[in-house]
Amino acid sequence: MKSETRFQILVPAAALAMSMLTGYAASQAASNTLASPESFVAIADTETRSAAIFTELGKVLTSPRCVNCHPAGDRPHQGDESRLHQPPVDRGVDGHGTQTMRCSICHQNTNFEPGRVPGHPEWHLAPREMAWEGKTLAEICAQIKDPDRNGGRKAEDLVHHIGTDTLVGWAWAPGFGRAPAPGTQKEAGALVDAWVKTGAACPTK
Amino acid sequence: MTTLALTINGRAHGPSEVRDDLTMNDFLREHLGMTGTKFGCGAAQCLSCAVIVDNPDGTSYAGPTCVVSAASFNGKAIRTVEGHAKNGELSALQKAFIEHFAFQCGYCTAGFLNEAQVLLERLARTPVARPELEKIIAEALDGHICRCTGYIKYHEAVRDVILADPRRYLV
Repeated sequence: MKSETRFQILVPAAALAMSMLTGYAASQAASNTLASPESFVAIADTETRSAAIFTELGKVLTSPRCVNCHPAGDRPHQGDESRLHQPPVDRGVDGHGTQTMRCSICHQNTNFEPGRVPGHPEWHLAPREMAWEGKTLAEICAQIKDPDRNGGRKAEDLVHHIGTDTLVGWAWAPGFGRAPAPGTQKEAGALVDAWVKTGAACPTK
Repeated sequence: MTTLALTINGRAHGPSEVRDDLTMNDFLREHLGMTGTKFGCGAAQCLSCAVIVDNPDGTSYAGPTCVVSAASFNGKAIRTVEGHAKNGELSALQKAFIEHFAFQCGYCTAGFLNEAQVLLERLARTPVARPELEKIIAEALDGHICRCTGYIKYHEAVRDVILADPRRYLV
């Protein structure tokens, strides 16, 4: 192959590879950030805008930091791969573990990095009726608005729960080896607030 | 650094300064030389490192020491395998473990012993009916791993101790 021909092939190939890598990096960065409520003002229809805001919030709700402890079964998941919790544990009657294996036995008040164990004083599973695992964003949205399946909360209470609750806040400071939830807790709270104020509409899927 | 003062087997230790990243297992084994508490998986999965933690309300539980900080035990009272024998005499559970040849390598024994002791004390407070006993024992020992597969023998040993004093442990 002539060097000129080789140049004509290699340069576009390298450019394509670079653009793919750049695109990948950009998408990774985007998945770790949250758009502000203001960035949705261009959507004129209020219901459509509300659903779009919830979809953005969905980046947080469907992150492993949230879903791992909103499991469909009685056993939590762990890690960014959402593998089943080891050691095997069960939610127990109150979501804080069984009589002989309480969550707090290992999960202390704060993360303990030498043991790779996350921590918070109220470490526990979300109730079974608040399971998000395996559900679409539309299903989670419908569920999160239903007081029978959201811990008896009004939509306004969700602003506080997601925006300021310290156990929820752990999702943004999860410790070594765990990706934090996208954005910040304050940004997530702002999205919930905007979602509620625009009618708390749900996405269609 | 964090100040740590706790009670181990009825004896006060500290206050002493310990590193924030020091595990309770290292504190027991390396700082105090209490090597009866083992280090197994290092991930709270085998519970060979479990000790008894006594709550102020008189209840207790067996918990791992390998993944939790020593500092988190400040102000607490714990019991380890070294505290079971009294005046040179083994406890009823220890004798039963030996009589049943419950252990081979013995690495998991301290954890099983502490868990079984917690169970005995729980049953003394809240006795159970005989038909429930097998399930109660199995659930209590469930989290402990024995690579020599002594599970049945541990179970039988614990059952024997309970059945030897039915008025205390059974309704």
